[in-house]
Amino acid sequence: MDFYANWLAAPILVPLVFAASALLVARRVTLRQIRVQRSLALVASLLNLAVALLLLYHTLQGQRMVLYAGAWQAPFGITLVADAFSAIMLALTALLGVAVVLYAMGTLDQRQGLNFYPLLLFLLMGVNGAFLAGDLFNLYVFFEVLLMASFVLLSLGGRPSQVNGGLRYVVLNLIASTLFLTAAGVVYGTLGTLNLAQLAERMALAPQSLRIVLAGILLLAFGSKAGLFPLFFWLPASYHTPHPAVTAIFGGLLTKVGIYALFRIFPLLFPELLSSWQPLLLTVAALTMLTGVFGAMAVTTIRRVLSFHVISQVGYMVMGLGLVASGNQLALGFGLAAGIFYIIHHMIVKTALLMAGGAAELTMGTGRLEPGYLGGLAKRAPALAVLFFVAAFSLAGIPPSSGFVSKLGLLQAALDAGQWPIAGVSLVVSLLTLMSMLRLWQKGFAGPAKSDTFPLRTPQPRLTLAPIALLVLASLAIGIFSAPVFGWAQTAAAQVLDREGYIRAVAPRADIPRLWAPGEEH
Amino acid sequence: MPELYLALLDRILTPVLLLLAVIFLLAGHNAPGGGFIAGLVVASAFLMQILARGDAFVRRLIGPYLQPLMGAGLLIAAASSLAGIGRYGQFFEGVWWQLQLGGRAWEFGSPALFDIGVFLVVSTFVTSYLLELSRPAKEGGRK
Repeated sequence: MDFYANWLAAPILVPLVFAASALLVARRVTLRQIRVQRSLALVASLLNLAVALLLLYHTLQGQRMVLYAGAWQAPFGITLVADAFSAIMLALTALLGVAVVLYAMGTLDQRQGLNFYPLLLFLLMGVNGAFLAGDLFNLYVFFEVLLMASFVLLSLGGRPSQVNGGLRYVVLNLIASTLFLTAAGVVYGTLGTLNLAQLAERMALAPQSLRIVLAGILLLAFGSKAGLFPLFFWLPASYHTPHPAVTAIFGGLLTKVGIYALFRIFPLLFPELLSSWQPLLLTVAALTMLTGVFGAMAVTTIRRVLSFHVISQVGYMVMGLGLVASGNQLALGFGLAAGIFYIIHHMIVKTALLMAGGAAELTMGTGRLEPGYLGGLAKRAPALAVLFFVAAFSLAGIPPSSGFVSKLGLLQAALDAGQWPIAGVSLVVSLLTLMSMLRLWQKGFAGPAKSDTFPLRTPQPRLTLAPIALLVLASLAIGIFSAPVFGWAQTAAAQVLDREGYIRAVAPRADIPRLWAPGEEH
Repeated sequence: MPELYLALLDRILTPVLLLLAVIFLLAGHNAPGGGFIAGLVVASAFLMQILARGDAFVRRLIGPYLQPLMGAGLLIAAASSLAGIGRYGQFFEGVWWQLQLGGRAWEFGSPALFDIGVFLVVSTFVTSYLLELSRPAKEGGRK
């Protein structure tokens, strides 16, 4: 192993060190200390982005990076693994981190700001760690780190509605974590290891009943984290209550960690289930899309509408996972590549939309869409309206935005696999998404400007709009230069599907006892 | 006012608990003990103080320092993970330093440093949790 593998620790260490330094000054609440925390968070998020881009540059050439902490060989020690998929997710997380720190500087009330930045950095540390974890237990640990940080972020304002939403969030997520931990326990009890590479070797030898039970529990656990049908109910209960900066990073980031775990675990450990469970995965995807988009039509505040769209979009990503197994004309793994491309598009656009919606809410003092509340923002805040418009059309899939290319990729994969129903559902859902975005525009932005508003706090326009503009431009750039970005997604998908390469890169030692002999049925 | 027997117990138990915490911390990484356990023991000493002298006293005593100490603990733990890169080019590799003092060689390792970091984080985190739990409920309840 080479020295450069040590860089894999940086995405975890950089947020940790800066969050800890930000806590050092948290002795009293003064404006000066909050300013120190803000600058520490800005430096940390920029450093994090630099490290993530470095890892992306290394892994896009098709190699994997492996770090054995403390030189303990796999499967004994903590193994960190990065391939192109992990690096893409790390880079997106880091980009969203920078954007949200800027947005929080523009919108966050100074007094509320105490410990927002350290908590955000702890959240980034948990997410980064989950993307790098090379074994099931550390994946669980980093899920818990991000769950704890996100729980405190959700209830940061201390209003009863926020504590209420935070409690639902934490209880339902802890149930999912318990399921995950149960699965990890069963894996360790039967297969004698938690290292993903060694599990990939041994899972094929395990009895089929065990494989199905484990895959089922893990699908429930990750599906709940990802907000899949019918386990999504914690998401609309909690996402609209916290500060807009918190909603923006949650909507962009958190469900995608669950999706990442599904994309990582299923092709690696249960490759044969991807074809035999294809109907299940595609049904879940279709129902998730439909319930999300219908839910968005029924609710009447801007951030609730956008939260329901998070659910419906997650369905598209699972559709990519469901289409892995089949590929007649197109390259193998085209469906997975389309799913990964969809994640790239979605994380950027959804965060931009939630930021714009939150800024609208802060400017007008309300997020309600009924007549007499929100309205006329196009005249009052034209720059914000333009950014919202572009992001909304990107989400709905209008060319030349990234949304168009990503939906086209999934549609192509579905038609190639002969899965007509899911292709039809995805088309209908994107039409309904467009309608929902038009409804938001008509209720919130069109119409005469209102004179009697009660803004919660006037956001600083430049710091609030700059990150939204950055993300919207990124979305347009991905749409226009879609060929190279899709190439990265294909590299990532090929690496995710290449189980042999993963096992060889991690190279777990084989002399660990297992509880049954190969070929023997229990 | 706290009960008399609590005040008495506090006088006896708190030094014992603190001494026990030091022993656990030094007992180290491989033997039973370590930073996590020692941190819990120190937090239980603070719990003793909360029961005997009230939460306001403890909050005045260390309240503002809890979060900075938590940060310092995390920084120490992170530094111990980086020591291995500095010496061997390997993240989290254990490093041992020797110190000649009083005609004897004293050994000190980066795992112990990690334990001290964990000790600081656990003791301050659990103490701040206990302080938050002992805060009297606000009047009025639902808002």
